[in-house]
Amino acid sequence: SRLAEGTPRRSIHLSNIVEQRVFKDNEIISTPKRGRPKKIVRDEDEDYSPKKSVQKTPTRTRRSSTTTKAATTPSKGITTATTTPMTPSQKMKKIRAGELSPSMQQRTDLPVKDSSKSELQLAREQLHVSVVPKSLPCREREFENIYAFLEGKIQDQCGGCMYVSGVPGTGKTATVTGVIRTLQKLATQNELPAFEYLEINGMRLTEPRQAYVQIYKQLTGKTVSWEQAHALLEKRFTTPAPRRVTTVLLVDELDILCNRRQDVVYNLLDWPTKSAAKLVVVTIANTMDLPERLLMGKVTSRLGLTRLTFQPYSHKQLQEIVTARLGGSEAFKGEAVQLVARKVAAVSGDARRALDICRRATEIADMAAVKCVTMLHVQQALAEMIASAKVQAIRNCSRMEQIFLQAVAAEVTRTGVEETTFMGVYQQVETIAAFMGVTFPPPGRALRLCSKLGAERLIISEHSRNDLFQKILLNVSADDIHYALRVAEMVN
Amino acid sequence: MPEADKELVSIRRFLKERLQRDYTTLRGYAEERSNVRLLLQRTAEMGESNSLLLIGPRGSGKTTLINAVLADVLLNKSFGENTLVVHLDGNLHTDDRVALKSITVQMQLENAADGKVFGSFAENLAFLLQCLKAGGKHSKSVVFILEEFDLFCAHHNQTLLYNLFDVSQSAQAPICVLGVTCRLDVIELLEKRVKSRFSHRQVFLFPSSQRFEEYVELCKDLLSLPTGNSLLLAAERFSNLQKIQSEALYCSRNHFDPGEYGFSPRVRETWNKQVGKVLATQQARSTLQALYDFDISEAYLKNFLFRLVAHLRPQSPHITAEKMAAVGSQFEGDDKIELLCGLSVLELCLIIAIKHHSEIYDRDPFNFEIIYARFSKFAKVSTTMQAVERSIVLKAFEHLRIAELIMPLSGGAGGGVGKVQKEFEMHKLALTYGQIQNCVQRYQALPTEVAQWAQSSLI
Repeated sequence: SRLAEGTPRRSIHLSNIVEQRVFKDNEIISTPKRGRPKKIVRDEDEDYSPKKSVQKTPTRTRRSSTTTKAATTPSKGITTATTTPMTPSQKMKKIRAGELSPSMQQRTDLPVKDSSKSELQLAREQLHVSVVPKSLPCREREFENIYAFLEGKIQDQCGGCMYVSGVPGTGKTATVTGVIRTLQKLATQNELPAFEYLEINGMRLTEPRQAYVQIYKQLTGKTVSWEQAHALLEKRFTTPAPRRVTTVLLVDELDILCNRRQDVVYNLLDWPTKSAAKLVVVTIANTMDLPERLLMGKVTSRLGLTRLTFQPYSHKQLQEIVTARLGGSEAFKGEAVQLVARKVAAVSGDARRALDICRRATEIADMAAVKCVTMLHVQQALAEMIASAKVQAIRNCSRMEQIFLQAVAAEVTRTGVEETTFMGVYQQVETIAAFMGVTFPPPGRALRLCSKLGAERLIISEHSRNDLFQKILLNVSADDIHYALRVAEMVN
Repeated sequence: MPEADKELVSIRRFLKERLQRDYTTLRGYAEERSNVRLLLQRTAEMGESNSLLLIGPRGSGKTTLINAVLADVLLNKSFGENTLVVHLDGNLHTDDRVALKSITVQMQLENAADGKVFGSFAENLAFLLQCLKAGGKHSKSVVFILEEFDLFCAHHNQTLLYNLFDVSQSAQAPICVLGVTCRLDVIELLEKRVKSRFSHRQVFLFPSSQRFEEYVELCKDLLSLPTGNSLLLAAERFSNLQKIQSEALYCSRNHFDPGEYGFSPRVRETWNKQVGKVLATQQARSTLQALYDFDISEAYLKNFLFRLVAHLRPQSPHITAEKMAAVGSQFEGDDKIELLCGLSVLELCLIIAIKHHSEIYDRDPFNFEIIYARFSKFAKVSTTMQAVERSIVLKAFEHLRIAELIMPLSGGAGGGVGKVQKEFEMHKLALTYGQIQNCVQRYQALPTEVAQWAQSSLI
């Protein structure tokens, strides 16, 4: 905001200096390394493709391009780069300039064709979480809401904020990106003013300030330090420029961007208030009361009250989602889908969970060599994925470990407190072992049992440095121990 | 060296190498193994993205299962050429920065050159995500193997886990995230958005040698020599693994090579017969039963068998039940009693004084002065301990302290040392009375006076 107070002329001047300095920095970094032996013997055409259209803000295109061209020496142009292999540091320079597109290694053989897949396989592919449908079922109202907000802001050419919340897996990001995709389509058909779309994700940043770098990178393709990126963004959003296009910024995982100073969140939410910016910010997070709980007053005030909450899916909605994914396929029995929907809706209402369980059920049906997923397969998948393996773990302990667990439970009953010490447990162990007619290993080896059970987290124990005085907590319930050891005996 | 001795040396080497370096042979776990295998195959062939957690107690063969599956699938070309395997270990990659550099190197991305990664942490993360995003069904599948998965959960914000799971749940390059951990409640460590992105497939590995008979069978299997045919098969499999030469299966370099060994049928039969006979005896079975009662994991049994096999000498070329019992009794011993028996009589007297004090005052803490007073009461009336000076006793007390038979109350060294003089610092006894009793019985040449005083604190 400080830059805005100066005359526009001055700030332009300043930015030119910054840019030139950036370029010179890179030169200085790369020159001494050029003498290194060229280690990379890879075909240049494959991994290097000059970026054709660097996205730039309309205001900066002309100015910055002149400065860059003036500073570039012709010998280092693209023509030489294609003929000789680059050293890694030259390559890194290209990456920072956004001229080298990141690429993955390609497969040697082609992926399997759709026509050769069975119906179960097709269903499994359709059920994968990554296959986002064009229109999300059961989120029509939220779609309308966000669409109306964004369209209004774009039409009015003003800025604003919105806060979207909801537990994970309720379709927040999918709905917002869906709205933006629709708007972008309208913009290409000239039914809506053109706008730019930027997105950042808090969890994909190593620290909150990298948000500036990522936003600037999506504008120009260049990677600069966050201080420079901050200054450049500040200049862009605070100086009025004719023919500035509206920018829509999606901020996912907002809570990660909050640090103690909250300067990043403040900046992101403060820019829309500037008349020059034409910035619309959509923020997404999990908790509904995040603005009140975590953010400072001035930030909450800027975030505004345009809020939207995504409720967890009910079992009917989950069922509709899964059947929509399946399309007209006969791979699933109707009641099987219903069972998944009811079980998941009762726990979390997470769509990812339901889809994953359905996918696992198709795998089980595949192994059973049938073509249709029935209730039994779904039940098996549910048992696997909503797993509680503690009883099984206790049953698979060795005899001494089982005695040790019983002793911990007995000591808890004796003392009445949850926390026991090793010494008390060992006394109980000796009693139980004498009762059962076995000899128990000495305390040193009992410590080994203790740390073994602690590694599995059946009990919580301290470091065995404190020997007889370490504190032991039971991490499973005493009933589980009883059930695992007694009921198993009775069945046998 | 005579022929028979050479044979024994070769058998011993074979058994030792098989116990220590056979990283890819897995016994049991048919269902779990096919589950993991199918998952990896679908990732490689169909380009599906998946995630899985392999959970089981320590020593239950989690890493071996992965090695076995990888050795299996890497042999067919369509897997080897379409997949990159990235190994990460929570103990080595202690934060996301280190882990990310290792991923960049192992995936041979463009900002890595000969093991050196350019750019900062933030740049590396952004570049990796861009690469994965640029990929699709046509790019190679990546299998991430995260050993000690629970340690990755302790990283700041769980950035790496979030991003890996997020890629596996979006339309990007096909990846498979395979976490390996021994904690049963590892899912509770994940943040809620990471947990939502995880596909909740958990494969539990509990040692299946639940019944003792299977354990004896396993022991027999580990000790007996295989037939020539199975040796050939194993050798062929191993040489195939050597051919892959890929970084994906890093354990293949120093793997057990069964092709080096050949046993004549006569040697094999006599050896196996002997092993079978020994394992049928009551003594051997009771030794194994004691091991089995303590720890059912294969690692523990292998440890035992290595000690047993290492005792094979040309003078005593057979495995016998007595040898097994001897090694078994080594396993069962109490090391602290050994330590106690190595103390001098003066130190033992102090321990007895501590024991009397603890018995009278119900494990109240003590300091040097208290124990010295109790000791001098005994020393005055004894005929052997009268001339001992106070400084000698203090030295003995310090000796007990650094051997951690007595421990300071504060726990840490910095706790009370600065404030309290060393004669007055409070301690607690890190032994049970049973251990002291045992030691007094086993101590060599203990003066009768001390033995009597140990019985009762009245003098």
